[in-house]
Amino acid sequence: MSATVEINFTLNGRKRQLTIDAGLSALNLLRDKLDMTGTKYACGEGECGACTILVDGLSVNSCLMYAADFDGRDIVTIEGLRSDKGFDPMQDAFVEHGAIQCGFCMPGMIMQARHLADTNKDLTYDGLKRGLEGNVCRCTGYKKVFDAVADVIGIAK
Amino acid sequence: MADKVQLLTSIEKKTLIGKRVPKPDSRDKAIGRTRYINDMKLPGMLHGKILHAGVPHARIKRIDVSKARDLPGVHAVLTADDIPEFIFGMARDNRPLKGGKVRCVRDEIAAVAAESEAICDAALALIEVEFEALPAVFDPAEAAKDDAPRIHEGKDDNFNLKYHFGSGDVKAAEATSDVVIDETFNVHYVTHVCMGTSCAIADFDPDGKLTIYSQTQYPYNFKMDLAPALGMHAGDIRVIQPPIGGAFGSKLDVYPYEPVCVLLARATQRPVKLMFSREEEFINAPTRQPVRIHLRAGAKKDGTLTFRDIKCLLNNGAYTSWGPTVPYVMMRTFSSLFRVPDVNIDCQSVYTNNPYAGSFRGYGNVQATYALAIHTDIMAEALGMSFVDLALKNAQVSGEVTPQGAVLNECALAECLTLAADKTDFRAKEKEYAALRDAPGRFKRGIGMAASIHNAGGAKIHKSDGCGTILKLDDYARCTVITGASEIGQGIDAVLSQIISEELGIPMRDITIVNNDSAIAPWDVGVHASRTTFIAGNGAQRAARKARVQILAAASRQSNVPPEALDLREGWVVQEDGGVPVIKIDRILRQMHFSDEPELVMVSDYYEPPSEPEGKDHVGDMSAAYSHAVHVAEVEVDTETGEVKVLKITSAQDVGRIINELGLEAQIEGGIIMGLGYAISEELIIENGQVRNPNFRDYKLITSPEVPELDLHFIESHSSTGPMGAKGIAELPTIVIAPAVANAVHNAIGIRFHNPPMTPEKVARAIWEKNSSRAAAE
Amino acid sequence: MQVKPSGTLDEYLAPVTIEEAARALADGRASVLAGGTDLMLQAANGRTPYRGRLVNIRRIAELRGAAITGGRVRIGALTTVTDILNHAELAKAVPVLRQTADKFASNQIRNMATIGGNICNASPAGDMIIPLLALEAEVELASWDGAKIRTREVALEKFFTGPGRTVMERGELLTAVSFAVPEAGHRVRFAKSGPRPALEISTVSAAFAATCKDGVTTNVRIVLGAVAPTPIRARSAEALMEGAECSGDLAARAAKAAAGEISPIDDVRASAWYRTHLTEVFVRRLIEDVCHG
Ligand SMILES: Cc1cc2nc3c(=O)[nH]c(=O)nc-3n(C[C@H](O)[C@H](O)[C@H](O)COP(=O)(O)OP(=O)(O)OC[C@H]3O[C@@H](n4cnc5c(N)ncnc54)[C@H](O)[C@@H]3O)c2cc1C
Ligand code: FES
Ligand code: FES
Repeated sequence: MSATVEINFTLNGRKRQLTIDAGLSALNLLRDKLDMTGTKYACGEGECGACTILVDGLSVNSCLMYAADFDGRDIVTIEGLRSDKGFDPMQDAFVEHGAIQCGFCMPGMIMQARHLADTNKDLTYDGLKRGLEGNVCRCTGYKKVFDAVADVIGIAK
Repeated sequence: MADKVQLLTSIEKKTLIGKRVPKPDSRDKAIGRTRYINDMKLPGMLHGKILHAGVPHARIKRIDVSKARDLPGVHAVLTADDIPEFIFGMARDNRPLKGGKVRCVRDEIAAVAAESEAICDAALALIEVEFEALPAVFDPAEAAKDDAPRIHEGKDDNFNLKYHFGSGDVKAAEATSDVVIDETFNVHYVTHVCMGTSCAIADFDPDGKLTIYSQTQYPYNFKMDLAPALGMHAGDIRVIQPPIGGAFGSKLDVYPYEPVCVLLARATQRPVKLMFSREEEFINAPTRQPVRIHLRAGAKKDGTLTFRDIKCLLNNGAYTSWGPTVPYVMMRTFSSLFRVPDVNIDCQSVYTNNPYAGSFRGYGNVQATYALAIHTDIMAEALGMSFVDLALKNAQVSGEVTPQGAVLNECALAECLTLAADKTDFRAKEKEYAALRDAPGRFKRGIGMAASIHNAGGAKIHKSDGCGTILKLDDYARCTVITGASEIGQGIDAVLSQIISEELGIPMRDITIVNNDSAIAPWDVGVHASRTTFIAGNGAQRAARKARVQILAAASRQSNVPPEALDLREGWVVQEDGGVPVIKIDRILRQMHFSDEPELVMVSDYYEPPSEPEGKDHVGDMSAAYSHAVHVAEVEVDTETGEVKVLKITSAQDVGRIINELGLEAQIEGGIIMGLGYAISEELIIENGQVRNPNFRDYKLITSPEVPELDLHFIESHSSTGPMGAKGIAELPTIVIAPAVANAVHNAIGIRFHNPPMTPEKVARAIWEKNSSRAAAE
Repeated sequence: MQVKPSGTLDEYLAPVTIEEAARALADGRASVLAGGTDLMLQAANGRTPYRGRLVNIRRIAELRGAAITGGRVRIGALTTVTDILNHAELAKAVPVLRQTADKFASNQIRNMATIGGNICNASPAGDMIIPLLALEAEVELASWDGAKIRTREVALEKFFTGPGRTVMERGELLTAVSFAVPEAGHRVRFAKSGPRPALEISTVSAAFAATCKDGVTTNVRIVLGAVAPTPIRARSAEALMEGAECSGDLAARAAKAAAGEISPIDDVRASAWYRTHLTEVFVRRLIEDVCHG
């Protein structure tokens, strides 16, 4: 029998209490148990960033994170990424810059972009390109993504 | 509100055509609200998984599924023994589950439906299979030999499809040539790597009718192709297309996992969802067709091309999907990229024990252009010319007809070449870098150009290349457009809405596109061949014009202004002249509806482009428009590590007319980056029939820091047949980039790469070999 | 759903002190979870099956953070690669660690991955290990002897016994890695195969350390990753350079010697030829960078 763990955490601003299998990944908790499918599976190996969420303000690949480790932490997923005024400016910018095509990579891309904006004060255009290196997109040429993020952070090319 | 309206004295025409318009569905995608097929659950749904052979060629001596069947949570386990011998596929050489023997590692030999994926996995592990290995063959040249192991029993040899096109007298033309260049290219396996892995959900109703939730990009012919794999009537299949994570041609055929999913649903009488893991996706999803291309061509001293003589050998793999049919397009490029009257082309595909290829963005043209544009560069070098001048010398002009009968209306090849060369100072840089090639220094710069042609007005490879549209306006002037054209992320939702908005004078947000249910939407041949903006766009425009005529007629009756003098703008019927408001559109629609002679505005259209299928001789004007693109790549090569850094890509492409500038740029940028992966990093490494790198770690897509500067230029040639003058654009960027990079690398270091991708190791090795042999000679 | 845990997982603990952790590990039937970026996958594909109890050490505050005291740098096992990137004092004292961290995986992975995990995973391609070997680091191991914490220190060079194998005993926890702050003028540099700036498993990685004073090279250390079953020191190349005049073709000769000391494999990422070639290129470049740069 697989060990279970009780976890208490904040998910998109709401407190949650759950009992889960100790080996469960955060991604599977979100997608399969909580039906929060905004966070995507595209590799399950930390290589593509589609599953990126924010844990205590830091971006992580939820496919590699143990859900058990959610305990006591503050979790934000794409469904919870909002500002006081409505949608997160990052979400608006991605739409307006035409950065979204099939969109499958975009929840992860946007979460990582949000992390970059939050954690890097003096980000350059090249720095932001590096900052998105863990997020694979097969549709766009990334260019519009860079432009969207640069716009939000306020950096010129 | 009403008062304000009274004050309006003039309403100007505002247009969205050519503007930067975000995709209507992108907001939902940005906030995580979009439910992709991979995210879906149906009530009572089971999960399905497939046991793949894992060996390239073997007899199945024994397969025992009894333990798997006994596992709690398992609802069905199927092998070939449990189903009739359903045969499907383009060459009728495939089965959903294979019995007797397996022909490639992908072969589906059993399938499980269970309460969860974990139980499926556990059940698969309990299936006992004993194989008896058979001699296998992986190289098409080997497989073509008489004594090669037979892949499909009952066949005399391993040959599958053969193509020949000839025009003029190649031998005679060769005799008039001053230079003849003979080169062989080997283009490799790559795969689509859609971010959403392959997925299907099958659900039967009690009458035995099937609803399949599918990623297909060709829903109507999909039914026709799926039916024989199930022993069903195509009419009993309903295809629903939820949002998907990319397609790029990979969903243009039926692949075995789809009928297997349906068979599991039939066996369990429960909805079944079957989704690949990333590893399964790399191994089992289609690839681009690998080809060996032998290209012999000549020119006169002044650069006039004389002839091309081409032989292609295609590694068919074990079964036949679109892959081995790519010569249809390869031949087009060989015969129509630049003016060359005498052409001979022979292409053959041979079965092997490899995985097999499907269609993939560019559909053969990526392969053909790789060879031809490098070959052209070699030819230019031999003639002491620049690529651009050789290309210009042989560039066709509007109205010219190619040997295969393509009529190049509105041809902008020369403009593309000139613009790309001017923007990059191409001729000067090409000389400068070539001169620095042997100077000391670790980094070498290079510049390279490539060009290609592609169908840009559909491709009549089926009897019809059409698209149906149904358009209705409700009492509030909200418009629903039901189109056969699928959305796979490319942005047809935006383009169609813009065209409708333009014709009907209503805002984009009042337009809803419905295109995801075969029970609702009319027929369309599918999203492929860069055809959707062109074909569905024309269809939508024609439907909108019918609705417009109906509305203007009613408004004219009411206002006594002749319909020709009326226009639709900003939600109003106005007088064309001066924009004087006549009546609000929703108002006239209600009046039409609730009058004594009630009428609704609901129109339909079936658009068939003015193109013709090729004849048996491969001649025919198969597209309603053609377009060209020219790319210039600037690279820096680290001559020690072999790393090729692409610094800048300049693109000049004939787009006909810009409809959505944002979507256009997005397609071209995305196409370039995808093609860049083909050029320098992506390869599905298949050795002895096994996929060696089924993961992102070792299958290297271009990531964000590697994205070069992109300088895009659009040439608007105004297609006489396209919607508002537009041409199809989505494949060319992927087609042209790789040879431009290869030519740039050659410009930098003097080495040709006839076998992409130009990985660091390959480049370093070639440089090392060149230096070694030079040292030996000295 | 995609992750299928292998081995048994019958207990989960999240200790908050080293002692609690050591006790939880004492019976040898526990797997340590740090960042999980290796463990999650290796447990799923059966490479490192769970041993029964999962001990999540991420809550042990005393294991995280880096400090420089008494001329020694001590980095707690739970310090993440991002922590190292952002640690200004560390970056000043030992720039090579930031340089290496910058070439490590992606932002998301760096936010999770710990230096202790990188060492314990014992991959010959583990990036952080390479400069640490050039810094002649030691690791600190802690275990519970039934009554109290027992600690021992092991030179990092003696730590690895093969791919994924170390001298660590089952009940042991790696608590920190430490090394002397390089003396003034002793420079350390790192190189890793590309072409991507970071998200790559190294085909070849290399670190070089030396003091180049008055044209003479001393205190030379050459470390190579992904070219042998464990990361290695290229001793004969070091000997060739030690005390030698750093001019002429010394760099090239030392690089050749280093390339002769490796036992590279052919795999899907690179051939043995390319690994040898890159080793030579990297070592030569690093020497040129440190000695002439
Ligand atoms: C997409 C991707 C990219 C990567 N890129 C790189 C890269 O560029 N360079 C690189 O070097 N690595 C890379 N890695 C590998 C991995 O991220 C690193 O090895 C990382 O440092 C592991 O740390 P962790 O904290 O995640 O370890 P975990 O996964 O938690 O642990 C790894 C192993 O060490 C054991 N362990 C961990 N901490 C301790 C401890 N304190 N005491 C005893 N045992 C312990 C665990 O039980 C486990 O067996 C990559 C991984 C992924 C998924
Ligand atoms: S799904 Fe987690 S990184 Fe790809
Ligand atoms: S938008 Fe399709 S994968 Fe990024």
